Amino acid sequence: MERIEPTAASTRVLAPISDTDEVDLIPVRTYWQLVRQRFVQHRLAVIALFLMLVLVVLAIVVPTLTGQGYAKTSLSTTMRPPFQSLTSPLGTNQIGQDMFLRLMKAMQTSLFIGFMAVVIIAAVGVTLGAIAGFFGGWIDNVIMRIVDVVLSLPIFFLIVMIVSFFGKGDAWVVIIAIGITGWTLACRLVRAEFLKLRDADFVQAARALGAGRMRIAARHMLPAALAPVVVAATLGIADSVVTEAALSFLGFGISPPEASLGNMLRNFEEDIQVRPILLVWPSVTIVLIVLAASFLGDGLRDALDPRQRIEKK
Amino acid sequence: MATYVLRRLIQAIPILVGISIISFAIVHLAPGDPVDRFRSGRVSPQVIQNLIRLYGLDKPILEQFTSWFTTFWQFWKPEAWGFSFIDGRPVTEKIAEKAPTTLLLMGTALAVTTVVAVPLGILAAVKQYSWADKIITTLATIGYALPSFVLGVLLLFTFNIAIKPGSPLHFPGYGLQTLGVENNPVDIAWHLVLPVSSLAIQQIAGWSRYMRSSMLEVLQQDYMRTARAKGLPGSKVLFKHGLRNALIPIITLLGLTLPSLLGGAAITESIFSWPGLGYMAVQSVSTNDYPVVLAIVMIGGAMVILGNLIADVLYGFVDPRIKY
Repeated sequence: MERIEPTAASTRVLAPISDTDEVDLIPVRTYWQLVRQRFVQHRLAVIALFLMLVLVVLAIVVPTLTGQGYAKTSLSTTMRPPFQSLTSPLGTNQIGQDMFLRLMKAMQTSLFIGFMAVVIIAAVGVTLGAIAGFFGGWIDNVIMRIVDVVLSLPIFFLIVMIVSFFGKGDAWVVIIAIGITGWTLACRLVRAEFLKLRDADFVQAARALGAGRMRIAARHMLPAALAPVVVAATLGIADSVVTEAALSFLGFGISPPEASLGNMLRNFEEDIQVRPILLVWPSVTIVLIVLAASFLGDGLRDALDPRQRIEKK
Repeated sequence: MATYVLRRLIQAIPILVGISIISFAIVHLAPGDPVDRFRSGRVSPQVIQNLIRLYGLDKPILEQFTSWFTTFWQFWKPEAWGFSFIDGRPVTEKIAEKAPTTLLLMGTALAVTTVVAVPLGILAAVKQYSWADKIITTLATIGYALPSFVLGVLLLFTFNIAIKPGSPLHFPGYGLQTLGVENNPVDIAWHLVLPVSSLAIQQIAGWSRYMRSSMLEVLQQDYMRTARAKGLPGSKVLFKHGLRNALIPIITLLGLTLPSLLGGAAITESIFSWPGLGYMAVQSVSTNDYPVVLAIVMIGGAMVILGNLIADVLYGFVDPRIKY
């Protein structure tokens, strides 16, 4: 157990209150206020959140405003260098497509796949983990054996297989492939939390008050068990974006004329010799997304942990 | 120990069965069938029927599965893993041919990783918050954020294209050896530099972070203070008492790295055209070469189980508190 240092606020509470004293109300801080306060202290995480928001907004707004512009070829304006004109700030590629519009569209595709894959991962993982942890017994045993099998599979190769056999180039196949192979971590985290919470005071209190089993699981235990999943899901965005990019890079994911961060790197063997500049933008964008998601995840991990107290600086 | 290993191997059987069911199911649920590529106007329906009978595709799916699964384990026979749809050669032969090149790449990368990451992690932990620690931690974060294909392309561009041939910093970026030069160790080592760097940089980034946090935890332990208090020289405290305990979590990484290199190597091998298993795996998927695909999934699964087992057995050796 961690020793609780007496703070100014706590000694004030403990001091006897006489009639003449004015009762000094301590501002009650809810869990989420504490989380926000702890998160804001994490400077890199705040920058990462800001960066992520900027990337997401750009990925939504630019392709929506410019429509099919990212796919438009123009053979009179090929290989324009970047930073030369305002109309195409990142230049054009060898078939005259605007690199900025392509990059934004690619970011939209990749982030969409990344976020949706994480949604599936979280949904499957939380459901199975909660069932395993709540019911225990043979149900737990069956689910954990499935986890063992999935964990033993060569995941990336399996994703390549699913995507290749069931629909090359379809974003939803990519999402489902990443989703159904990636849920084991979330499942184990939620299961562990549920096992811990089964005998927690507030769960027993709810039971004593006559709450049904489903209500206890869904309303009392689940919210308390979600913190590690939120962190894992944030870090999972980075993994899913990289997986999608790797798939498209190898030629299995999204194929041109659609744009994804991975397929913009697909012609690297030729590009690297003749026009390496085209490889810079998608690479930098992938690294930015990965960095943003991992710092965000780290910040959330520190912020969501209720056992951590705010250090006074 | 022997009974423990035996028990673990028995526990692995249902997992392997699960892996084979999943991989078999994916291959068989895939639209189309293996004889599709023979179907054309020039091939008579009778030939197609014969092919279907030859491959056993007319039998019920359960029977197909059991016959594949039971022959799969007789891997000393050349026909055990079936024959490639592409060139008709036994799958065992194709895999045995590519395995050494992948092992050479994986092994070298793993060795480089261990040799570099462990000292870096120790240095960062012992000199916590120093400039050395800050540089190592920052580089590790960047290395961790660089996906293997970005890193590979970056290395290829820098050391193969931007730096022109003739410079001592120019490295080959294609294949296992120079055309016309056969089995020359120096030439192969030269070709290894870029793919190994690509794999190792990523692993070093991850491993040095683990090593640092593991060492930091050990440094705070009571036994470290005891060792120092009884007058042992600093280096002895650090290496005999500290390092051996700090290495325990690294063993898990070792176990995890063993199989994941097969998947990670697929990308690196493709970038550097390294003729190994990862490259072949990707090729076999894109050409629907199902026997090869199935064999590779099964090998991958077996390697995961083996990696975990090796890690657990090694735990027993380095940590006498763990008894089996």
